[in-house]
Amino acid sequence: MAEDGLLAEMHALRDRVTGVTGSALASRDGLIIKADTEVNEDNLAALAAASLGLAQRMAREVGQGALREAVTRSSGGYVAIYAVGSTAVLILTGDEGLNIARLHHESRATVDRIEAMLSGASPVHTGSH
Amino acid sequence: MSTLEPADGAGGPPYSLREALRDCAAKALSGVLEVTGEPGGTIHFSGGGVAAVETPGAPGPEVILLRSGRIPEPGWAAAFAAAAAAGTALGPELIARGLIGAGELEAVLRIAAADAMFVLSGGQVAQCRAEPGTPDCQLALEPPAEAGWLLAEASRRTRVLASMPGRVEHDRDRMAPAPGAVQPDVVLGQGWDEILALANGRRTPRDMAFALGRGVYATTLQLMHMYGAGLLVTVSHRVVTPAERAHAERAQAAGAVAPSGNGQDPPASLPRRRRARAQHLRDSDPDSGPDLPSWLRLLRPRSGGN
Repeated sequence: MAEDGLLAEMHALRDRVTGVTGSALASRDGLIIKADTEVNEDNLAALAAASLGLAQRMAREVGQGALREAVTRSSGGYVAIYAVGSTAVLILTGDEGLNIARLHHESRATVDRIEAMLSGASPVHTGSH
Repeated sequence: MSTLEPADGAGGPPYSLREALRDCAAKALSGVLEVTGEPGGTIHFSGGGVAAVETPGAPGPEVILLRSGRIPEPGWAAAFAAAAAAGTALGPELIARGLIGAGELEAVLRIAAADAMFVLSGGQVAQCRAEPGTPDCQLALEPPAEAGWLLAEASRRTRVLASMPGRVEHDRDRMAPAPGAVQPDVVLGQGWDEILALANGRRTPRDMAFALGRGVYATTLQLMHMYGAGLLVTVSHRVVTPAERAHAERAQAAGAVAPSGNGQDPPASLPRRRRARAQHLRDSDPDSGPDLPSWLRLLRPRSGGN
């Protein structure tokens, strides 16, 4: 059975970081690529692409350098959005217990690996032997 | 005099955490003890007593009070804003506004601290680092709790869970209803219906505790009762540490298991962490066979017409 490397990376991050409830990978124009979430993935993808664009413009506007992540914090948890290269967006949702600083630390390698897969530098599908 | 040793030495917290707590108490620390690990957390000290315990692994008092519906969100937000503006503590503001009684708030804070210590001390502890400073946590136990009492209570809870039939790991096992457990027009009561609705194969007991606004220990107890009654199954395990991941990848390559998180086939041989269990606890496990169909006695028809 071929394993989806993108989904495997997203599952692994949800396993590794306590409090992560789901994730989604979307294109910069708001279309869903992969989803591991209970919420509407199409809406999530569209909103995340728009949010990332706005957040990057905000960072430029105030002269604060390159955007690292955009975080929405609500009474019931977090949404963290990361640019994956220039073509995709990774969205992570978490509950109130999420350690957001730890998430940023742990998601860095995941973002890099997903970017490598999307750019073709790494295989997305790994077949069984 | 406080003791930081568990009563029978079984299932006690890691030596480094126990020693660190003992040091903080002996030095009458005010500040925090930062615990790195999985899930890790922060223990707030005031004069050597524990004012609060925070960990990603257990819901804190704010989550418990809001998610359970005990305090409405607008009321909480107003109290928070008023306390922040006045530079005063949140607890007295909640009480002054009649949102919760002083005794009830203290009970919630104490229960939350005990639950967080149970999760923190039962997890993996890599390092403990004490940082003196001005006591500063949103809802502080007053008077502070004794660290020794919190550890003893954590050990007691670990022993209770270890003595029950079946094992449910509160921070690893993702659970779902067993086939046939959810019956239309049937109410189980005891909060079991809410749990069946939340158990979608993605949530661990810890995740369900957050969603319900209840403690992890209490939620895990309920889940283990339901698991023993055949209402819930474990569909996958979180794979957290590098060692667990290496084991899972080897098993997956051998074709033994489905990938973690897809909620489908139960894993055949994912690694299970073994908590220390005293021999006398293993020998004294009660007869684990549930009276089938014991959960049927709990059924009562839905009232009214929906």
